Amino acid sequence: MRVLVVEDDRDLNRQLISALTDAGYAVDAAFDGEEGYFLGETEPYDVVILDIGLPKMDGISVLEQWRRAERNMPVIILTARDRWSDKVAGMDAGADDYVAKPFHMEELLARIRAQVRRASGHARSDIECGPLRLDTKTARVTLNGQPIKLTSHEYRLLAYLMHHNERVVSRTELVEHLYEQDFDRDSNTIEVFIGRLRKKIPPDMIKTIRGLGYRLSQEGDEN
Amino acid sequence: MKTNSLAFRLFATAAAWNLLVLPIAGAIIYSLYRQEVETSFDRRIGVLLTVILQDSIDHGESEPGAPKDVGEPLFEITHSGWYWQIKPLDGKPGHPLVSRSLAGEVIPLPSEFNIEPNDRETRWANLDGPLEQKLRVAETIYVFGEGKKAQRYSVAVAATWGEVEASLRAFRTRLALALALAGIGLLAVTLFQIRFGLFPLHKVEKGLAAIRSGEAERLDVELPQEIEPLQHELNALLKTSHDIVERARTHVGNLAHALKTPLAVIVNEAREDTSQLARKVTEQAELMHTQVNLYLDRARMAARIGVIGRVTEVRPVAESIIRALERIYRDRQLEFSVDCPAGARFQGERQDLEEMLGNLLDNAAKWARAKVVFSVAAAPAEADAAGAWLEIRVDDDGPGLTPEQLAEPIIRGRRLDETKPGSGLGHSIVADLAHSYRGKFELARSELGGLSARLTLPLAT
Repeated sequence: MRVLVVEDDRDLNRQLISALTDAGYAVDAAFDGEEGYFLGETEPYDVVILDIGLPKMDGISVLEQWRRAERNMPVIILTARDRWSDKVAGMDAGADDYVAKPFHMEELLARIRAQVRRASGHARSDIECGPLRLDTKTARVTLNGQPIKLTSHEYRLLAYLMHHNERVVSRTELVEHLYEQDFDRDSNTIEVFIGRLRKKIPPDMIKTIRGLGYRLSQEGDEN
Repeated sequence: MKTNSLAFRLFATAAAWNLLVLPIAGAIIYSLYRQEVETSFDRRIGVLLTVILQDSIDHGESEPGAPKDVGEPLFEITHSGWYWQIKPLDGKPGHPLVSRSLAGEVIPLPSEFNIEPNDRETRWANLDGPLEQKLRVAETIYVFGEGKKAQRYSVAVAATWGEVEASLRAFRTRLALALALAGIGLLAVTLFQIRFGLFPLHKVEKGLAAIRSGEAERLDVELPQEIEPLQHELNALLKTSHDIVERARTHVGNLAHALKTPLAVIVNEAREDTSQLARKVTEQAELMHTQVNLYLDRARMAARIGVIGRVTEVRPVAESIIRALERIYRDRQLEFSVDCPAGARFQGERQDLEEMLGNLLDNAAKWARAKVVFSVAAAPAEADAAGAWLEIRVDDDGPGLTPEQLAEPIIRGRRLDETKPGSGLGHSIVADLAHSYRGKFELARSELGGLSARLTLPLAT
């Protein structure tokens, strides 16, 4: 899952990146409105955290321009302006949720999870697929109730596949949603991670669809 | 008319001036007229005296002759009030010559009352004559004959003063009547003048009342040149006060923004750590946050007090908030229903109404199972109560509160349930705002099963 953080306060930006990375997200950061707008315009993010009071271009304008360009990723507004008039203005501009500063990181993470789930059509905080179970709150995966050990990249890959289970996910899509912007995007690494995952879960759950990508499906389900 | 009013001052001075001036003017007019009448009366008597003396000289030699051609028929009518008499003096015997009108009576003579003659050798006096007539008498002494035969005669003409007095009395009455009418007329005109002249001030008064009640934002009435600057200055003052409030709000908002980001950083940083210090920092930072919010709200409310009222339509505010909440809670498929008459208008700032409705609706949405009902009723002004009220209710079908919880006062920062996110400030902000508008805020059990938040706010009429 890729998240964009647009926040001009360096300390807060750093804290957000570290908390989000720990929670298993690939995070890009922008420090002003123009940079944030550009990233949101060009990269496929699963969630955006957007401050309102930004230099160069304020958050409301950034959001309005994205929506006008039909960039429909979930956006959570993060702002000190917590009056309802500000909230209504933010929501009317196209935001999906609103978090007032100062905030509890756990609350923000919960809201991000909710937006990701909503976007992929899951209603509950844990996602099941056959014997696999993903707890998005704790970022842990169990197989038949037994926790499996995953590196952060393996976790991101498996979590993305589970959010989009029973659907063919292309390699490009995986690259775009799993890695930060500056990451060396060699699509071969995806194959390496798929190979590693197949060793940790029943191997035929992840099917390779030639020329299209991968699909995670319940065991025994033949297509 | 109150004694402490411009109208009274103007009227009282005009009335006092009238009361002073009209009688003096009357006295002056009357005395001038009387003087004129007396002078011409005396002149007529004087002329007759000269004519009678001349006639008497013409018809006699050493003695006066009876005047034949005086030309005044009143001398021929008995007791007419007009008499003449030529009488020898110094005890000399002989009948005095008299006009027929005297009919045996005698004219009292000024010389007998020791009245001194004037520079034309004529004595004048007002004396009582026959039949109690008040007479104006003119007398002159003339010597007839020469040498030893020389004899002094008193020649006198008298005329009754009564008819002149009667005409003067009539004149005085008419004059007094005319002046009294003029006085009343002047007072009436003054009253009208005051009403008409002070009318623009009434318009100003009405305009100001409209501003206070929130119907108008500035004074905008047709005013005469003299008080037009007042209107201009007043409007400038209103604008200044409005600008001050806006500036205060902006500063307050900026302060909030400036403080909250560092607070967020501190809290997040401290949460990473489990040390005693980190716990203390977290605790204190959260206290700071509560305090910042408390005083920001107070400042916002204080900035508003005394500021000219605004009017806010309730329905659009509720709808925009519900639209936002539907987006935030779209997974939960909540059903929001709005029952609000189109004309319901809140007497106050839009931002404050948004804050109150936002907190109540958000709280209801947080706890509701499936349904949130927003309803507004306008309670008309009761005879004894001040103004009309809006009754706003937000009901949900969530778990609600226990009777004990409902009985507890609403305290800032105290959360009745810790299991859902929130600052615990919502209800206390609503209560503070409602009180600042002299409204009421109550929590009760809803017919839907959950909480019913009831807000009473001033209705704009």
